[in-house]
Amino acid sequence: MKMTATASRQSTPVEGASGATGSAPGKAAAMKHSASLTQRWRGSSNLLPALLFLGLFFFAPLISLLLRGVLEPTPGLGNYAELFANSAYARVLINTFAVAGLVTVFSLLLGFPLAWAITLVPRGWGRWVLNIVLLSMWTSLLARTYSWLVLLQASGVINKALMAMGIIDQPLEMVHNLTGVVIGMSYIMIPFIVLPLQATMQAIDPMVLQAGSICGASPWSNFFRVFLPLCRPGLFSGGLMVFVMSLGYYVTPALLGGAQNMMLPEFIIQQVQSFLNWGLASAGAALLILITLVLFYFYLKLQPESPVGSSNSR
Amino acid sequence: MLLTANAMSRRMRFGLYLTTGVIALFLLLPIVFIVLLSFGSSQWLVFPPPGWTLKWYMQFFSNPEWMDAAVASLKVAVLTTIFAVALGLPTAFALVRGRFPGREMLYGLFTLPMIVPLVIIAVAVYALFLKLGYTGTMFAFVVSHVIVALPFTIISIINSLKLFDQSIEDAAVICGASRLQAVYKVTFPAIRPGMVAGALFAFLVSWDEVVLSVMMASPTLQTLPVKMWTTLRQDLTPVIAVASTLLIALSVLVMVIAAAVRRRNEVSA
Repeated sequence: MKMTATASRQSTPVEGASGATGSAPGKAAAMKHSASLTQRWRGSSNLLPALLFLGLFFFAPLISLLLRGVLEPTPGLGNYAELFANSAYARVLINTFAVAGLVTVFSLLLGFPLAWAITLVPRGWGRWVLNIVLLSMWTSLLARTYSWLVLLQASGVINKALMAMGIIDQPLEMVHNLTGVVIGMSYIMIPFIVLPLQATMQAIDPMVLQAGSICGASPWSNFFRVFLPLCRPGLFSGGLMVFVMSLGYYVTPALLGGAQNMMLPEFIIQQVQSFLNWGLASAGAALLILITLVLFYFYLKLQPESPVGSSNSR
Repeated sequence: MLLTANAMSRRMRFGLYLTTGVIALFLLLPIVFIVLLSFGSSQWLVFPPPGWTLKWYMQFFSNPEWMDAAVASLKVAVLTTIFAVALGLPTAFALVRGRFPGREMLYGLFTLPMIVPLVIIAVAVYALFLKLGYTGTMFAFVVSHVIVALPFTIISIINSLKLFDQSIEDAAVICGASRLQAVYKVTFPAIRPGMVAGALFAFLVSWDEVVLSVMMASPTLQTLPVKMWTTLRQDLTPVIAVASTLLIALSVLVMVIAAAVRRRNEVSA
């Protein structure tokens, strides 16, 4: 490809000369233009299969779903008005954000020490901690949620252990409520904090922290005023990613949550499956997509570079 | 100071290691727990189990519903893998090597299925297949899984294609190979790690997919996660623990293969 590029560059003066002597300089310019155009779009036909596939089975259904929100049952914004006016639906929205927020906070708190330890001890047992994180990330979501369901139930191991230790004398209600959802989802999201955060920590120069302590900072203030600010990119991008993902989760909230704390994804499925109310489901879906894409835009702004963009400089 | 283990104060280091240990155990707990329970003899999932047994495994393997679901899961995952790689490969080539405008945007477009919440993809595709009368078919399962698996294969292949120096392929062409031969015999072997990783990701995504599958499923065709999902809503029988263990086992196996491929590659590089 590099060779053809040089070849076309060499041919340019020749074309220019013939254009000057010939009667149709415009034609030559057009030819040159179309040549560079095919050059430019070269290889793009390889995109067709995937574009066609996604267009047919992803974009078209997505757009038609979103259209149903303004067309069914009657054209207009009725579904959106209902979504915001009905207090039960408003509670679904508030609950969705509350759960996503809590999950983000807990997974950040739990993920931070793991990322730190892996950075501190990259070999030996630190490697094992990383493996555990990866294992948990790639282990079936449904299997892990089922496991939490059994662990947290009234007659489950955790309640029994707490009762045997005399900490509680009544089983705690930890499933089919907010507690269950937050425990299960924070657990699932930990790897999505650890991986970006660990990458950020790895890039921090340890000498900077050394400098902090030489200049007289106590470990405490060194942590809060040097280390934590340096981790900020990882904390932000990990946290934002987890928040976005939490907004869209269905399986874990549906199994570990109760009827009174439904989240937006459950609401959408319920409208489709139980009430066949596609209009309202579509309005909910549009809202979820909008929030997701807006947050994801901010996430991308935090990323240093795009994977295809960097190849431009070659 | 805070990033060099030896320079940290002993108390601080101890505190960090202890916290890490506890959280790592927390991560392992549900996985180990469910595997143990699948061998436990208690119908009511009492832990620690009063005895050990394989009877839930026998129940799983002798029940045609569970077996059919497991076989369907494997079929869907294998087909999804094949199609995701077949579609992802040319796309990755075009995105890495093309010089056309809008590649950034196209890349975003192709990874969009990773970002749009699964529930929405599931409902949208379900509406389409409902209209076409395809729900509950193998076609519906595979198509819906390929949508979400495709970004993983595209990203993996892009990552290894970017590391491959194209002048090696050009050299093969200069030496008389056709472009296709050069791609097939020089480039493909070089980017195999990315292709394998992409295939494994696609397989895992499909193997574990719940939301899309629940929407696509019919009483006659369902995957293992769907069967687990519907059973879960009635009772928590230990047979689900068996199915979970099988899901986990296959995921671990795929992860080990991925690690082995990566290691072999690091050695040869």
